[in-house]
Amino acid sequence: MSIEAGASQYTVLHELGSGSFGTVYKAIDKTTGEIVAIKHIDLESTDEDIQDIQSEISILSSCTSPYVTQYKASFLRGHKLWIVMEFLGGGSGLDLLKPGNLNEAHVAIICRELLLGLEYLHQEGKIHRDVKAANVLLSTSGKVKLADFGVATQLTNIKSQRNTFVGTPYWMAPEVIQEAGYDYKADIWSLGITALELINGGPPHADVHPMKVLFLIPKQSAPRLEGSQYSREFKDFIAQCLVKDCDRRPSAKELLRHKFIRSAGKVEALQELIERRQLWDGARERPSHPKYYEETLLVLNPIKTTFAANIYRHTMSPKNDPDEWVFDTVKKATIAARNNTTKRRKLSVIHANGQGLVSGAEEALKRLDIKDAPLDYSSPPPATVIRGTVRRQPSVVHLASPTKPRQPSSQRRPLQPDMSFGNSASTVRVFRRVSDNSTTAQVDSDISAPGTTRDENRPPMAETVTKDAILGRRVFNKIIDPSFQEVHAQTGNQAKRDALSRLADAWSALDAVDPEGEYQLMKLLLEKVQNDPKLSVHLSPSKSTSRDGTPQSSPQKSGAKLVLAQNNPHLKSHRRRQSSMLPEETKEKLANLPGQAIPGMEHTKQLADVLYGRWAGGLRNRWPAA
Amino acid sequence: MSFLFGRRPRTNTVDLPKQAKEQISKLDGPGAAAKAEELAKTLGQMKFVLQGTQETESSPEQIYSLVTGMIQEDLLYLLALNLYRLPFESRKDAQVIFSYVLRFRPPSASPKSEPMALSYVINNRPEVLVELCNGYNHTESAAPAGTVLREVLKSDAATAIILYHDPLEGSPGAKGLTGIQPEARQSGRGVFWKFFDWIDRGSFDLSADAFNTFRDLLTKHKTIVAQYLSTNFDLFFNKYNTMLVQSQNYVTKRQSIKLLGEILLDRANYAVMTAYVDRGEHLKICMNLLRDPRKMVQYEGFHVFKVFVANPHKSIAVQKILLINRDKLLEFLRHFLEDRTEDEQFIDEREFLIKQIRNMPPTPVEPAQKPALLGSQAR
Repeated sequence: MSIEAGASQYTVLHELGSGSFGTVYKAIDKTTGEIVAIKHIDLESTDEDIQDIQSEISILSSCTSPYVTQYKASFLRGHKLWIVMEFLGGGSGLDLLKPGNLNEAHVAIICRELLLGLEYLHQEGKIHRDVKAANVLLSTSGKVKLADFGVATQLTNIKSQRNTFVGTPYWMAPEVIQEAGYDYKADIWSLGITALELINGGPPHADVHPMKVLFLIPKQSAPRLEGSQYSREFKDFIAQCLVKDCDRRPSAKELLRHKFIRSAGKVEALQELIERRQLWDGARERPSHPKYYEETLLVLNPIKTTFAANIYRHTMSPKNDPDEWVFDTVKKATIAARNNTTKRRKLSVIHANGQGLVSGAEEALKRLDIKDAPLDYSSPPPATVIRGTVRRQPSVVHLASPTKPRQPSSQRRPLQPDMSFGNSASTVRVFRRVSDNSTTAQVDSDISAPGTTRDENRPPMAETVTKDAILGRRVFNKIIDPSFQEVHAQTGNQAKRDALSRLADAWSALDAVDPEGEYQLMKLLLEKVQNDPKLSVHLSPSKSTSRDGTPQSSPQKSGAKLVLAQNNPHLKSHRRRQSSMLPEETKEKLANLPGQAIPGMEHTKQLADVLYGRWAGGLRNRWPAA
Repeated sequence: MSFLFGRRPRTNTVDLPKQAKEQISKLDGPGAAAKAEELAKTLGQMKFVLQGTQETESSPEQIYSLVTGMIQEDLLYLLALNLYRLPFESRKDAQVIFSYVLRFRPPSASPKSEPMALSYVINNRPEVLVELCNGYNHTESAAPAGTVLREVLKSDAATAIILYHDPLEGSPGAKGLTGIQPEARQSGRGVFWKFFDWIDRGSFDLSADAFNTFRDLLTKHKTIVAQYLSTNFDLFFNKYNTMLVQSQNYVTKRQSIKLLGEILLDRANYAVMTAYVDRGEHLKICMNLLRDPRKMVQYEGFHVFKVFVANPHKSIAVQKILLINRDKLLEFLRHFLEDRTEDEQFIDEREFLIKQIRNMPPTPVEPAQKPALLGSQAR
């Protein structure tokens, strides 16, 4: 049961990617030599969803099927939760789509394997609720597994129904959207959409705003597979999955008998797809160094290792920390006595015990100064921090992470608009979203200082404490980054694009390290432009409006995320999490909120607002930390 | 279990409980592995009788005879007791069986009546519930037992049984609902008190599951809990503060501070709340939470701290601590969790606290009103 033993059983190799819930690392189980994937979830970055994470784990841990990603263990290290899963090296269904659409034979195999997985889940009384290509993982040998149980639900009664509004809009069954109560058949619909996604490169209505999709799906007739190149069986299979009346929609078991499925080939054939993608990746990417896992702060932080200490508590060296409350009305002896009798000595009690009097009130006051308050993470470089006050600083540094945006998995192509929807990328093309600042985190490791991006415990951004720094950061978020994105999008030539992305990288490195300097630079640039009469005519400020490009046409920033409806109750907690965002950003965001005059959607505004609210509400499981 | 799919049960439904009982009794003997496999099959069959399959409906008559058979053979108790020894799939089957059986009402019974097996357990066999709680003694049985428990805890009687279980009390074993004496103080040896250990020391899965059940126990049936906490105030909060609020386990700590805030701010627990915020030691613990290096701990701690400060009848002890630290607190609160700029409620509350602390009289004043609960309790 020792948690420490749990963590030391694994050697963490390098990062595989990151999603809304945390970063995933590749690791080796030292006892068996087996390769595993470990998801690190920073619990400090989530306001209230420890329970949600736990429910995902409990669903996962009750599944053992070759068609479902196998859960192995989970344990806590400080405020990081490690979830150990089987390692699947073939990538997700979505990854396989990147080089191009799949052919019918491949789709048939994937569909059969998914049906087997769904058959298992449904028989177990579980509904996945978020079947889509991004949630399908492949092993290197081509085995197909259902993954991501972030929204899966356990029905206690096999015939009971659910009313919760979750999933990803494009893949949602009509009955889910209508909240008429749904059961496991909802997954079959999503499977049909996934099949269309794999063959067409995206789900139906991919170019439509997700909010609008929410009433297109129930209103319109079910999508069909079109095109003479596809077989009749395939078309029929899709039609069977996409029966709008869920009572007439066949079950996974029934669909396994469908001709399209029965004639599907072996999973080994999928290895072609995996190879194709590897080739594609190799051809496209600028060389990027794998991000290795560095334990540094994690290890040094005693809080991380407290579980063992919790059981066999050794004496702890008294901490020399002057910023303590004064409880000197209290008889010291009583507290001390209580400490000794209590099995677990508490950190806070220790403070009260040892240091209460050591510190003069004045010094304590000084310590309370913003620079050193535990809430403030403006701090010297991490190395100093580690040595300085080993005891608490590491996690203080860490505190930046709840508010800092996560580093998106699509690090390798910084200027590529990240189309990710939710916690994993999706094939949806245009999506209204709002930056979460994460572009700053996209500094490629080969350009920026390596330590900056590799260490997950360190905020990738320098601290925005001064006004100049805040402005500098704003300059980057509002002007530099979107401009880069836009110019990059307009540039055709590969060499030019590369040069441009290097510049963008360099600039984001500057932003990460020295926003103040960034601001000064910008200021100087503008002054110089204005002082030059010729240039100031051509570069008139009124033309530099790239910052607020319409979201429909130019998704501005990668790693952006979904906006919650303004009246959504979860927005409050959402805001809390976003609290480090600059206030100016917020206004921007609100202006971008759905329901506020979206071109082409005015006629549906009211209904849309309601639906969007419900949708966003139901999706809170999905983006708890969004 | 797909190998069982579509096959009709070989054994007559009536005989299944008896068969399962025999197989359980042989789990210790020679050939235990084979017996476990047979037991797994029997449980699988029972599950299909209860829930049917996606294709075939279950029949109420068959379920009725199965449930009565299980009661006769005392199978619910045996299953709860041996849950951790069952194979992986069987534990899930057992969980399903429990859920169905404890929810089952004969078609003739009124939909408002207590399900027959649950009523039997509550009145005659409370050990079933105790053993389900003891499922947290083993990693294997924690999740299935927890799932069953949380469903059962929708019943106030079942909640009371677990809260008031106390092996020291009179005759051995629990006496069911009629044996409960709400006024009597708990010895702390009942099964409820084991939850503190499970939560604090278990692995993440086990601890989190136990905490969910613990929370249900303390929040679902407010009048029972208010009475319980009043009677066992010291025992409960001593354990709660030392083992949970000051736990070294991050999740335990954070979740329990949050739950503490919820308990204190629940109107039903008014008397408990006034008694809690009366004590200086409680305030000290809480103020140290505000200084925890982890922001979410600070944040949750704040929601307990505010109750102390907002209390119009602060005790002398509480006033003293606040006054001694007044300047520091004011300075501290001014910058407390500054980056929560969009959490309006939090900002308002923080401002309110600053105002309250600033306006406190310079020397402690005897409170006009003392907590009702403390009058009757040892202070």
